[in-house]
Amino acid sequence: MIFREVEDRDLISKARRGHVDAYNVLVSRWEKRVFNYLLRLVGNREDALDLSQDVFLKAYQNLRKLDDPAKFSGWLFRIAHNEAYSLLRKPRPEGEMGIEPKTAEASGRMFPMELSLAVQSALKRLSDDQREAVLLKVYQGFKFEEMAEILDCPVSTIKSRLYTALDLLKETLAPVNMGGAQ
Amino acid sequence: MSCSSVDLKAYVLGEISPREKTAVEDHVRTCQSCREEQESLSVAHSALMSLQDEEVPQRIAFVSDKVFEPRWWQRVWRSGPAMGFASAAVLAAAILVHAVTRPVVTTGPAATVNVDTAQIEQRVEQEVNARVQSAIAAAVTKAVTEADARREQKFAQVLDAAEKRDEMQRRVDLAAVQQTMRYYDQQMGRLIVASNDLAQGSSR
Repeated sequence: MIFREVEDRDLISKARRGHVDAYNVLVSRWEKRVFNYLLRLVGNREDALDLSQDVFLKAYQNLRKLDDPAKFSGWLFRIAHNEAYSLLRKPRPEGEMGIEPKTAEASGRMFPMELSLAVQSALKRLSDDQREAVLLKVYQGFKFEEMAEILDCPVSTIKSRLYTALDLLKETLAPVNMGGAQ
Repeated sequence: MSCSSVDLKAYVLGEISPREKTAVEDHVRTCQSCREEQESLSVAHSALMSLQDEEVPQRIAFVSDKVFEPRWWQRVWRSGPAMGFASAAVLAAAILVHAVTRPVVTTGPAATVNVDTAQIEQRVEQEVNARVQSAIAAAVTKAVTEADARREQKFAQVLDAAEKRDEMQRRVDLAAVQQTMRYYDQQMGRLIVASNDLAQGSSR
């Protein structure tokens, strides 16, 4: 992990000096995480891909404004958050929101498809703020303080959103998981 | 540890210290309700974790564009070490120039100066008095000059008025003299005509 951070810092330094290839390596390391975060947040693959490209483009354009390269991940997800909410704030037709069911090929083979669909459905029932808190914590592994910086709100607000989301998810997912495990 | 002080959600999310984690696990072993709650949360967390990441449908990559690439001076400007070296070089050059061009200061024993306070005060007093007298004299001269100027101006005005008045009177007197002269001329003419008539009558 330490080597990875050093390498990221080196890539950032080179990208700041105009080395596009170094930035492309950086993109390849982070694009999957950013894409899946956006996909689960906005619920649409095309939007998630477009947003991912915008995120990395803006990150490249503003790379010199990044004070501490060690905080690149939080800074990158902050941009992704802003981009996603720019889209989520736009009025959308009823029923458009929601992740399309994955194909059998795209879904994981180690887990039942029913469970994946149930999780996607449960996440969809959360509010945007609650869902984003779950995504950043459970799937991206950020600490509360890092999430507070990404979302620009107090840690208490982060915990409130996350704990409320967990209570809702506990009610909806527990029986499904039990059933899926049987 | 009481149930209210146990943060099971932070435990499930891995946001507690190892010591707190041990305390929570000890409490859960002895408290059935907390154990059930912790199991429900863990099941939900496991269900969330079962959702696998999807592959990005299309790789995101950027191509090098000469238009947007920074120029050589922009790279130097953005380069921290290079700018630091340049700053140090400029500073060193400035120090060198200063060392070469600064005036030579001769160092030696400091001259001893005997300070006579009374003499200084006396000189200061004389200087002050001289300057005060000079200022007063200048002010008096200025006041006298201004007064003379005002008086001369007033005299000129009075003289001008008198001359105008005399000229007016002279013209009036001249007009009266001319009128008198015309009167005597008329009378003389009548006398001549009368004497001529008288001479003609006596000759007849």
